Amino acid sequence: METFWQRLDLWARASVPTVLGLLFTFLSASLWPFPYLGNVMPPLAFFALFYWSAHRPDLFPPFVAFFIGLLNDFIGGNALGLSALLYTVAQQLILRYRSFFTGHSFFMLWVGFTLSAIIMMLVQWIVLSLLSWQLIPFLPVLIQILLAVVFFPLPCWIFIQLQRTVLSST
Amino acid sequence: MPIRRSPTFRWHYAEATLSWRGFSHYFSPLIFIVCSITLLVLSQAQPEAVMSLRAHVTDALTPFFNVVARGASAVEEVGTTLRDLVSLRSENEKLRQENRRMVEWKNTVVLLQKENAELKSLLHFKTEPSLSYISARVIADSGNAYTRGLILTAGKSDGVREGMAAMTGDGLIGRVIEVGTWSSRIWLISDLNSRIPVTIAETGDRAILAGDNTEMPKLLFLARDAMVFEGAHVVTSGHGGVFAPNLPIGTLKETERGAYRIVPSADLSRVNYIRLVDFNLEGGPLNSMSKKHSVRSGR
Repeated sequence: METFWQRLDLWARASVPTVLGLLFTFLSASLWPFPYLGNVMPPLAFFALFYWSAHRPDLFPPFVAFFIGLLNDFIGGNALGLSALLYTVAQQLILRYRSFFTGHSFFMLWVGFTLSAIIMMLVQWIVLSLLSWQLIPFLPVLIQILLAVVFFPLPCWIFIQLQRTVLSST
Repeated sequence: MPIRRSPTFRWHYAEATLSWRGFSHYFSPLIFIVCSITLLVLSQAQPEAVMSLRAHVTDALTPFFNVVARGASAVEEVGTTLRDLVSLRSENEKLRQENRRMVEWKNTVVLLQKENAELKSLLHFKTEPSLSYISARVIADSGNAYTRGLILTAGKSDGVREGMAAMTGDGLIGRVIEVGTWSSRIWLISDLNSRIPVTIAETGDRAILAGDNTEMPKLLFLARDAMVFEGAHVVTSGHGGVFAPNLPIGTLKETERGAYRIVPSADLSRVNYIRLVDFNLEGGPLNSMSKKHSVRSGR
């Protein structure tokens, strides 16, 4: 029978994907020492959402995706509910097609992320342009997508290490 | 063609949905999608309520941002100290020269102030409302590809009010748009929703400074016969009752297409401390116009 400490340990390990999602949300709003980075900062929480939804959906349930999206809306000042909606829908799409990009090669995972990020950010740009009745400049969105795609391997490496070490027993 | 479900699938589906775990597995994404859409609609229909909720959430998140901001500034400080040590000697000489110039300017300013006060008393000039200042630290960059904003560590408890001008030592950078108890959010002058009545200091021509998410906001409604030139200083006009007049904003720069944009005096990409200026005026028509606009954008 599991003791209290064993259960606590298991719970702490299982909460790693959620904690990373929250941490990345805060990091994306932090003051970075690089000028203008905030204007094109990729949605860092989406890295966590994509990776954990593809590899450990049991540890990243829909309410976590919803909550992290909502937190992004609150912090970013965008239309409330939009990121929550996009993150929840994106997670469902990732779950549906995850067999295509997981379990093969890292390149396939990268392609899967690129497609998901492009679709999500394009939809966000279209909806926000419609809501504000004006065409929001697309260049920052494009740079945001490029940064997200280029830097994906870095958080992905961290997630892989964590999955192999901390989450191997969950 | 309708999808045919096997009896086994139907049995598993029924069994799964009967238990709570199964129900939440199948339906929770749908519930959260409906919740998100409801919030999105509410944020468009009731922007004031959403703003108040957002201010409360920002308040609750302030301690987290504080921790992250302190860690980041500690790292940045180490880098700055190292850089300063390298350039200490040349910097010292530069400051000595600047100090000599400042002393000369100080004497001139004292004389002009005295003369100005005498002339005002001769004309029985009505004095402008006094300005009050609140200093605040920036703890988060709430900007992204769609918005340009900052979150500060000062709120209602410090006397911050919606509409206050946000400045650095170099000039105006934005205005307070949302106030919580301990925190507040400002829109930068470069934000897509920012509209500020301005005057060209040298010629007195009026215009509206409009942010478009670029680093150089544009000028709207500038008269066709306006005498503008590159390098002219742009200051707040004070119209609309939002800002005090003559707050410095930046200088004009001619673009390749012959239009004029404003280069802000303050570096909008590196703001750590902000001075909030209250002109003790109630929000004018521009304030309500911005609120109407924010209904659309849900902010």
